[in-house]
Amino acid sequence: MAYSDKVVDHFNNPRNMGSFKKDEDGVGTGIVGAPECGDVMKLQIKVQNDTIVDAKFKTFGCGSAIASSSLATEWLKGKTIEEAQQIKNTDIVQELNLPPVKIHCSVLAEDAIKAALNDYKKKAEDNK
Amino acid sequence: MEQKPTVLPKRTELHMARSMCWHCQSEVTGEYFCEQCVKVQPLSKELDYFTCLGLPRLLNIDLEALEAKFYTLSRSFHPDFYHNKTDSEQAISLGNSALLNIAYRTLKDPIQRAEYLLKLEAGSAKDIRTSPPADLFEEILALQEDLEEYRQAAPSQNQAALEPLKAKLASDREQLEQRQREMELRLADLFNAWDLLHAQAESAPVDDRLRKERETILKGLRELLSNRTYLRNIITDLVAVMA
Repeated sequence: MAYSDKVVDHFNNPRNMGSFKKDEDGVGTGIVGAPECGDVMKLQIKVQNDTIVDAKFKTFGCGSAIASSSLATEWLKGKTIEEAQQIKNTDIVQELNLPPVKIHCSVLAEDAIKAALNDYKKKAEDNK
Repeated sequence: MEQKPTVLPKRTELHMARSMCWHCQSEVTGEYFCEQCVKVQPLSKELDYFTCLGLPRLLNIDLEALEAKFYTLSRSFHPDFYHNKTDSEQAISLGNSALLNIAYRTLKDPIQRAEYLLKLEAGSAKDIRTSPPADLFEEILALQEDLEEYRQAAPSQNQAALEPLKAKLASDREQLEQRQREMELRLADLFNAWDLLHAQAESAPVDDRLRKERETILKGLRELLSNRTYLRNIITDLVAVMA
């Protein structure tokens, strides 16, 4: 099965690849993996006043996993924590036209978002 | 969480799609064929692969016996022997052959066999929760970064400046491969532990201790199988970049 144009585009021109310092203020980090294929995804958000001002990712895995996380960072920017919580893997599947065998890549991206948000919240809580 | 009622099935029972022969309506007593009218019987689509091949749910399998059983059954179901039979029989022959092939392919490979057993025993693999290996992820990310650095620098820089990084990656690789070997040993231990548990469950009532033991083994398997995949991927990347 061929990758959709959008997947190829994200794969060739990944948006927001890179990373923040983990201990930086307002940064939440989520690292997740897919045991089925061994892909590992790191997704980070930078939050100011409850809004995600920047997001970065690093994914080591297949094209769909890279595209899913690249898209996720694009979507995250400008969203509030509350809004970011609502991003579902099915949205990613739809946008990228992922075939059934690649749905787990979108699940991975959703998990990474959740993990990053949780990490941010936990850090914010600890700093109170 | 849904718990499977038994530790293991006490004996391998063949579950035909129905208990009555589709052709002569007598009760099916034979294994794969009706003993009354000798017609081939459809294997139930829900039949698990172990039962399909007449095996107990063990992780150590005699591969020669498995192959022999597969060939025997292949011959009895093969569509070539049904081309002048009725449409129903041809359909059954096709369906049974397809199931048999996938059952054999899955059980032949120890990793696929273990993954499959996990799926059977633990429902979906997610039912048995394992915490993600955070340390391993960190390690992989750090290694991937080193690899990236090497990948970018390798074509341009002079080789001498690259030596330290190259040496580090080589020793990382050695260390990872060592861990991979240890994992294979632990996997073999878990295979044995599972089979031992299976034998115990056959001869004694299933109590809390056995149930707990079962959970521990399944959890260990799940963890090991997924960590194994992560490790394999990073080693593959390492080997590819260093080549």
